[in-house]
Amino acid sequence: MVALISVGIGFLTPAFAQEKVVREALKASDIRSLDPHYGTTTIDLACITPMFNALVRFKPADINPEKIEPDLAERWERSKDGLVWTFYLRKGVKFHKGYGELTSEDVKFSLEKAANKATSGFAGDYTALGKVEAIDKYTVQLTFKTTIPSVLGILADYHGGYIVSKKAAEERGDKFKFDPIGTGPFMLKEYVPKEKVVLVKNPDFFRGKPLLDRVEFWFMPDASSREMAFRKGEIDLVEGEREQSWVKKMREIPGTAIEIFGPGETLVLHFNMSKKPLDDIRVRRAICHAINIKELMAFLGPDVTEPLVSVIPKSYLGGTDKVPTYEFNPEKAKKLLAEAGYAKGLELSMVITEMSDYRRPMEQVQEQLRRVGINLKMDVITHTAFHEQIRKDVNPLVLYVAARFPVADTFLTHFFHSKSIVGTPTAITNFSHYNKVDDLIEKARSELDLTKQKDLWAEAQKKILEDAAALPLCTTKFVFSRKVFVDLGYEMRSTLVLSPPIAWTTDIKKK
Amino acid sequence: MIYVLPTLWAVVTFVFFIIRMVPGGPAMAVLGSYATAESIRELEKQMGLDKPLLVQYGNFLKDLCRGDLGKSMITKRPVSSEIAKALPYTIDLTIAGMLIGIVLGVPIGIMTALKRNRAPDYIGRILSLVGISMPEFYLGILLMYVLAIKFDLFPVLGGGNMSNLGSRLHHLVLPALTLGIIMTAFISRMVRSSMLNVLKEDYVRTAKAKGLKERVVIYKHALRNALIPTVTVIGLYASILMGGSVLTEIIYSRPGLGKMMVFAVKDRDYIALQSVIIIFSAFVFLINLLTDLFYSLIDPRIEYH
Repeated sequence: MVALISVGIGFLTPAFAQEKVVREALKASDIRSLDPHYGTTTIDLACITPMFNALVRFKPADINPEKIEPDLAERWERSKDGLVWTFYLRKGVKFHKGYGELTSEDVKFSLEKAANKATSGFAGDYTALGKVEAIDKYTVQLTFKTTIPSVLGILADYHGGYIVSKKAAEERGDKFKFDPIGTGPFMLKEYVPKEKVVLVKNPDFFRGKPLLDRVEFWFMPDASSREMAFRKGEIDLVEGEREQSWVKKMREIPGTAIEIFGPGETLVLHFNMSKKPLDDIRVRRAICHAINIKELMAFLGPDVTEPLVSVIPKSYLGGTDKVPTYEFNPEKAKKLLAEAGYAKGLELSMVITEMSDYRRPMEQVQEQLRRVGINLKMDVITHTAFHEQIRKDVNPLVLYVAARFPVADTFLTHFFHSKSIVGTPTAITNFSHYNKVDDLIEKARSELDLTKQKDLWAEAQKKILEDAAALPLCTTKFVFSRKVFVDLGYEMRSTLVLSPPIAWTTDIKKK
Repeated sequence: MIYVLPTLWAVVTFVFFIIRMVPGGPAMAVLGSYATAESIRELEKQMGLDKPLLVQYGNFLKDLCRGDLGKSMITKRPVSSEIAKALPYTIDLTIAGMLIGIVLGVPIGIMTALKRNRAPDYIGRILSLVGISMPEFYLGILLMYVLAIKFDLFPVLGGGNMSNLGSRLHHLVLPALTLGIIMTAFISRMVRSSMLNVLKEDYVRTAKAKGLKERVVIYKHALRNALIPTVTVIGLYASILMGGSVLTEIIYSRPGLGKMMVFAVKDRDYIALQSVIIIFSAFVFLINLLTDLFYSLIDPRIEYH
């Protein structure tokens, strides 16, 4: 024991005292891919973002697609019909580790890779992309088969929009997934499977020399361990639990700032309209009236939740709050159930994932439904199994927690277009089997006038709520704790990366 | 020994089929929840999951016989190299946990047996009961809080630098103590009860009657005989300890085999999971073999033919 303690004392002096390092811990066991065209999890996105750029970018910590600004492209032009887009690249942008200057060939390669099912997980976002041409070394022209709501959105610094080094991707093949080359402020130094990813600064970054020397992303699935590491000071930025109690506890630690930011994830209850008894609108409306959203939000925590009126947050492009709402009214719910022939109550069975982000709100909904005579039996299964089962249509109700590109078209297409109905070859996440707004979604997609486009999206949302195809519950925001000496370099408001991005301006203030 | 290969085959066959029966698949894990049904099918085809199960099984056995564990379905890297990186962390942890258990457990067991029904015995029994009852994750967090946060003696993060012995040991102390304390509780109880049985034997009484020193009677005559069931238990718990490393590795963020196994189960990485199970099973066989061999060292009357 004495020997063990002496080992401990011998190592009290922190290493790397001279280096400016930020250590971030995320709720993950490992990364799945550092190839930006496959990265979907929070840990993947956290590591990918500092390594890559796109033609255009969201303003730091602002996900408003209307404010997208130049990144690798200095400027761009659009044809009158909105189908041909020409981008003029910055000159002198260098890829990491001597992979040369960014050219139009890299952009062509990257966008074609992103649009290819065999090399990208986001190919579905680029189905309207016809061809990509390298006009000259610094000019790229994109031709679309049809107009889409946000061309800049799919070219921005998120998912398939990231630009990779053609030479490195071709040279490395499958290995590119864990040894990628981009143009971002940080480059990969080390990946230790099941432990961490280490990035170091890219001194040639085109916006300026990054202020940090190194960033470490630690994979820590256990919440208590993350908290301990943060308390001890071995971690500077930690992913939290989206619970009020966690926020309160962490606020009490001296020198801690809590970051609660958007866009968060929407919690929407989708009703399976293809099966009894939810094929009856009276039953669906009864459920809507039986759920006390205020109580649910109070349970989840006022700091970490926000109201959600429609199935798309109002802050998103095309989001609206001018939709029919269902006030909490248990008596009305019981009356509707009786009218539908369920005066004595109703039994429903479903599966739910063990993940607390889903399980906790659903347990609350279960209790609320019990009060009006709906007995909801829930089997708790693993998250992977849950995703498979709900796509096999086993649930009458599906609680889906989602963060998507902040344009109405994405939400409406994924969740309410008939092509996305689960069980079909083109299925995505239409769990309601809803098919009554296809024309509105498609019309809006090809509408070039933004006001008219927004009206069409609003009309679709109104119809979805009228038909009670789904019930928006609330949005839950992302929660992180940060040591106050870590200066993110921007004011954290919202990000699609799902964690505070490490930027070239991120710095360590005097501890 | 002749049962090793058939048993290993039975284990991997069971795991091969059972993991594929569980809902969910690796393609969904790779593509995420945005994926269309078409792209999931496309990736499953690339992964070879569209082939009949028996064909997949045949290919798996063929590769295994050639010593090829295959490539991870998620990372696409050879599983053998991933295991080679993870294994030292788990071996360090298991050996250190076991050593702590033996070094503390055997003397405590002897002492509590010799002081039967007196204060040291009561204290030892209560503490061992607490040790047995306490879940690893709770003990791990508790040790972390006291020794890492309150006294700032040890790190809580990661497995340290494997090429630096100091860093490796420094990061090993808390996880090893977590497993070691639990092991101590098991071993001390086993040694105590074995010693109590042996101390009643005629040959111990005879040795005492011959006027041998107390120390000689205890260590040469009593302990040596009490060790046979103890070694069995240590062998058994060493296997359990490897399983226990799963939770401990997660709590202390050690990139070992346990963490690899959990990730493989979560993502339905069939190839990685099968391989980790093979390695775990092989270790259990190895420990059992060592236990058997150890018997003959303790008791020369035991011979293997």
